[in-house]
Amino acid sequence: MQSRLLWIAVALVIWAALPFFVPRNIADLLVFTGIYTIAGLGIGLLLGHCGIVNLAQATFYGLGAYASAYCTVMMGLPSIVGFVAGAAISMALAYVIGRPILRLTGYFLALGTLALSAIASALFFEWDWLTGGTLGIGGIPKLNLFGFVLDRPSRYYFFVWIVAFACMAAAHNLVDSRSGLMLRAMRDSSTAAAALSVDLQSLRTRVFVVCALFGSLAGSLFAHHASFVSTQSFGVDRSISFLLIPVIGGATSIPGIVVGALFVTFLPEFLSKLGDIHQILFGLALVAVVVLLPDGLMGAFGRLRTRLAARQGNHAR
Amino acid sequence: MPANAILALKEVGHSFGGLAVLRSVTFDVPEGGIIGLIGPNGSGKTTLFNIVSGYIRPLAGAITYQGAPLVRESIQRRGTAGLVRTFQTPQVFEQMTVLENIMVGCTKLTRTTMLQDLLRTPAARGQMREIRQRAEAACERFQLGNLRDLPAASLTAGQRRILEIARAVVGEPRLLLLDEPSSGLNAQEIENLREWIVRLNEQGITVLLVSHDMGLMTVARTVHTLYFGEIIASGDMAAIQRDPRVREVYLGV
Repeated sequence: MQSRLLWIAVALVIWAALPFFVPRNIADLLVFTGIYTIAGLGIGLLLGHCGIVNLAQATFYGLGAYASAYCTVMMGLPSIVGFVAGAAISMALAYVIGRPILRLTGYFLALGTLALSAIASALFFEWDWLTGGTLGIGGIPKLNLFGFVLDRPSRYYFFVWIVAFACMAAAHNLVDSRSGLMLRAMRDSSTAAAALSVDLQSLRTRVFVVCALFGSLAGSLFAHHASFVSTQSFGVDRSISFLLIPVIGGATSIPGIVVGALFVTFLPEFLSKLGDIHQILFGLALVAVVVLLPDGLMGAFGRLRTRLAARQGNHAR
Repeated sequence: MPANAILALKEVGHSFGGLAVLRSVTFDVPEGGIIGLIGPNGSGKTTLFNIVSGYIRPLAGAITYQGAPLVRESIQRRGTAGLVRTFQTPQVFEQMTVLENIMVGCTKLTRTTMLQDLLRTPAARGQMREIRQRAEAACERFQLGNLRDLPAASLTAGQRRILEIARAVVGEPRLLLLDEPSSGLNAQEIENLREWIVRLNEQGITVLLVSHDMGLMTVARTVHTLYFGEIIASGDMAAIQRDPRVREVYLGV
């Protein structure tokens, strides 16, 4: 117990000191890791606890980003309005779209969410009166917390990660709750869960809405960080890289989501120094993780720890 | 329909792809009783069970539960109204522990919104505590206490069966539908199961039992024999065993 507290304390110190000791571009990537963690948490809940592959997260990410951009730049409203508007629109859309498409299962459902992402991406492009199309919307103000302007990555880092920790705590609460019990039951046997009065359809829809909320929150944070949003950021490829976060890190583990987010933000950046072949290398790394570690990096870590503990137990005897 | 029937089937019929599997099945389940349903393989027992529990909608006939029409109700609504089933192959939640399995059975007795669960509000915590306490008590009552933290995947067939029944009973059912509960169990486990059925019935739970096991079937006060989707004989087990038609088609004598 004490060693666990020590680990948490060490991790917190490293977390707090990190932005002051790393170059600006790394601090910037760490901000993105926080943003991607928030978006990835929602997909992790769906994938790990409902067995649903969500390929539409870039849609909600985009809605959050455009809501923040439009509210602050075009309408001159305070940034909080953008966050709330993005979240409300995303959750409403997730509810309206979720009810019909969550009747599907497996590949068909994955294709349904992919279609949603493709449609949304096309609409972001076509509705240039709202989104600015390929030109996008620029000049999004930095967040201002009671007069303290978060205008440097090292400052924004703390804000983003505090939001990320709050989202992680909420996701943890959910898994640990009555809803979490029903979710895990549904994943193990939906037939038996239904017999015990678990309303599968409504439960799946509600988790989808929570996932959209996280996606939209991440999108709004992204808009205030980048100061500029355009259609390129919210395509189907972004949805796929969001899905990779829980797949790589481990869908049922909350630290796994952070590990997955680190993977998809840092690895392409490092590999890009190697020239043209970086995308191939990223693809290979991805295939290696998925094939060799089917339950993600955190799953592999957990198994390693069990094995080490077993070995230590043998030595003790 | 007699006044004290909890479940009444009236001329229920069903077919798959033109092949009739149930023909005009009519019987009542009296409140507080134990009713048995026997019949050879393919006689329609499981289809009838799926119809009563809501997994299949019948093509003909009417079913009333506690005096209200049942056919259009969802599986979940039937569950909250106290109509709970088990499955021929026990459907435990394999990756969850024994205690967690039983906790799922308690979830229908409480209500929380997803927002309350996300924020872990005092109400959500209180409900979770209540769920856990009920499940722990049930664990002890069904002698699963020493298994409570094991994943359900590691249980034997007999333990899975008891777990499935415990999980169903903890939700306070009024009518318990048991589908072939003795399949895969040894003689001792079947004897335990028999005692459990009698005990639960004494606590006021009505039981509808489908089984091949003639020994287990003696707990039923009335037994209906299904053959090719029709009820060919009804009565207590002794009368059923004497019935010439039943002997011919089912017991093979």
